[in-house]
Amino acid sequence: MSLYYFDHAASAPRRDEVADAMAPWQHGVVGNPSGSHKAARDARRAVEEARDEVASFVGAKPGGVIFTGGGTESCDLAIAGVTGHHRRSHETSQILVSRIEHHAVLDAAEKMARDFDDVRVGYIDVDRDGVVDLDSLMNQLSDDTAIVSVMSANNETGVRQPLDGVSALAKSIIPGGVVTHTDAVAAASWVKLSNLTATTDMISICAHKIGGPVNSGALILRNNVTLEAVIPGGGQERGRRGGTVDVAAVVGLAAAVRLTMKELTEVSDRVLDYQEKLVAALSLIPGCEVTGLEALRVPGTVHVTFDDIASDELLFLLDQEGVCASAAASCSSGASTASHVLAAMGVPHERARGSLRLSMGAETTDADVDAVIGILSGVVHRLRSEA
Amino acid sequence: MSGGVDSSVAAGLLLEQGHEVVGATLKLWGGASDSGCCSVADVDDARRVAQTLGIDHHVFNYTEEFERHVVAPFVEAYAAGHSPNPCIECNRHIKFDLLFERARRLGFDVVATGHHAQVSERDGRHFLVRGADDQKDQSYVLGYLAEDQLAMLLLPIGAMNKSEVRAHAERLGLRTWDKPDSQDVCFIEASKGREVFLRQRIQLTPAVIVDRASGEAIGSTQGAELMTVGQRRGVLPDRDGERRFVAKVDLAAGRVEVGRLEDILIDTIELDESSLTFSHDELVDGAEILAQWSAHGVAQSATLRRGACWRLDLDVPARPVAAGQSVVFYRASEPTVVEGAAIVAVP
Repeated sequence: MSLYYFDHAASAPRRDEVADAMAPWQHGVVGNPSGSHKAARDARRAVEEARDEVASFVGAKPGGVIFTGGGTESCDLAIAGVTGHHRRSHETSQILVSRIEHHAVLDAAEKMARDFDDVRVGYIDVDRDGVVDLDSLMNQLSDDTAIVSVMSANNETGVRQPLDGVSALAKSIIPGGVVTHTDAVAAASWVKLSNLTATTDMISICAHKIGGPVNSGALILRNNVTLEAVIPGGGQERGRRGGTVDVAAVVGLAAAVRLTMKELTEVSDRVLDYQEKLVAALSLIPGCEVTGLEALRVPGTVHVTFDDIASDELLFLLDQEGVCASAAASCSSGASTASHVLAAMGVPHERARGSLRLSMGAETTDADVDAVIGILSGVVHRLRSEA
Repeated sequence: MSGGVDSSVAAGLLLEQGHEVVGATLKLWGGASDSGCCSVADVDDARRVAQTLGIDHHVFNYTEEFERHVVAPFVEAYAAGHSPNPCIECNRHIKFDLLFERARRLGFDVVATGHHAQVSERDGRHFLVRGADDQKDQSYVLGYLAEDQLAMLLLPIGAMNKSEVRAHAERLGLRTWDKPDSQDVCFIEASKGREVFLRQRIQLTPAVIVDRASGEAIGSTQGAELMTVGQRRGVLPDRDGERRFVAKVDLAAGRVEVGRLEDILIDTIELDESSLTFSHDELVDGAEILAQWSAHGVAQSATLRRGACWRLDLDVPARPVAAGQSVVFYRASEPTVVEGAAIVAVP
């Protein structure tokens, strides 16, 4: 049976070039980059070369790149690190996040508020297409706001967010300006981050959504942001993230970044055609609604809801036909669950239960798209005729 | 596949019998749990068993339906002073209704579970029969199943006793082989109990505990809803040292009547007609049956009567039975065969 991989947004296929770049650092002597002898220096050089590439990916200085164990850790470091520092000089601290953030951001913010009585979380509303409402942000910005975190593109719907507007408000409404962070994990394959995040102070990325290894990511500081380490460890990464730097992981991240930068325009243009084709075909299925249709979306993601079909059943039958897709929201047990993103958009609950996310990447072909359209139409028809 | 040993072995045996098997775990309860079948650890066990057996495994989310059909009615029933059985409601509304429908839609021929009970086919009709292991028999919680469900149900471990099931699990190399049996209601934390669970959801009613024979107040309770008719839980012995049982819970009056066994015995149980379910043919007025009204109770001889309402006349007087409990009917001439079930009516 053929496999149709439409879950790039969960994890993208590891690219051969990435595996090749990592290979020398995965066996034999690999020096500790913090050391001083030849093996250590070789390792350090690889780490710093990777740092240069990751910095150029977002248009920041290499000194702003903090290598982490992935996107979740990057977001956590941004939220906890900046808020932790803010608390030292303020009686109260507010964390402002959009309602549609990934749980990497939401849970980090909520943990801070749970752990410290002087920390609270404010939630920025979104409109019915899933775009952050700047009025809502403006109304909630306060003198004690420590950080504003709005993602670059949503991981479930693919809807892009107005980062320039967020930054403009965060910097102008409050004297001295508020630190801004963006979780760019879902946008990194599709949009030139050096433009998209040009006005944002901190950017989180991870490797495995762009063809690199899992457990590898970075928090990149564009401007002079001070944060406290979540893992103080041995003072690595200029005291901002302790623990020996994993050379293979950062080399893999850099290789994935390099490929992404090289192919971004070509892949985006090609996948945009697939997205249009999928949207056109799915719109013809009765009861199927494309999420965020009126908003600007990244090319790789098509999110739809069905009014009378449960995600669990749709995904089961798609899986039987070799289609790897997702409901985009799942809980720790692996069951699909009600999406906080769709709830924030005001999508009716019954419809949200029939969610399907098809996400594509550099490897997706036109034939894959045709196949999945055929299979999905058949599966939907079957579920309805059996009902 | 709950993540327990019974359903693990059921899956393994079906595979050995040559069936094409897919494992499914129902995510039913989203809240805190330490005893049930819905924790992440239990789903992990089910998934790992499926991997060990080499079958696909899916997790189906029924948390909302479970809340609507099981948890909310459970709480409402307690608030009304009744004593429901949530496992039976879960079987009726989730496992053998929604899951069966889903299985049909997804193209499956049958659903199998790890219940200790058996399905026996006779002349093209399917009967639910007690599990071979007396101690583990679960036919009571399946008592409402009727022909269309029984015909689509396989119970692979029903003919085994528990030690045989565990031996099979060990033979198959399943990590659940020595996992303790779950005993309690899955959505109530055993360490906190029913009282903590209910107090989070309803205002419990303080009540005076009155001895039925003398009319004297002999104590009080902060939660009359927690007193179960027919049981002794929460009732302190009177000065005479004799055990007393709950005879009646009157929430409106803030009064719980208790009494010595001989003062409270009943000889008839009224049934809620809308809940009355027959496995096959409707039993006639005057039918002799064996009635069981708790999961591990002993079935009692009774006669089914259809007067102003359906009722059971008991051959031997018994302790009163709480409204909301289920009574399962077993065949008098063949005491392992289930013939139907009904909920005890509100008096």
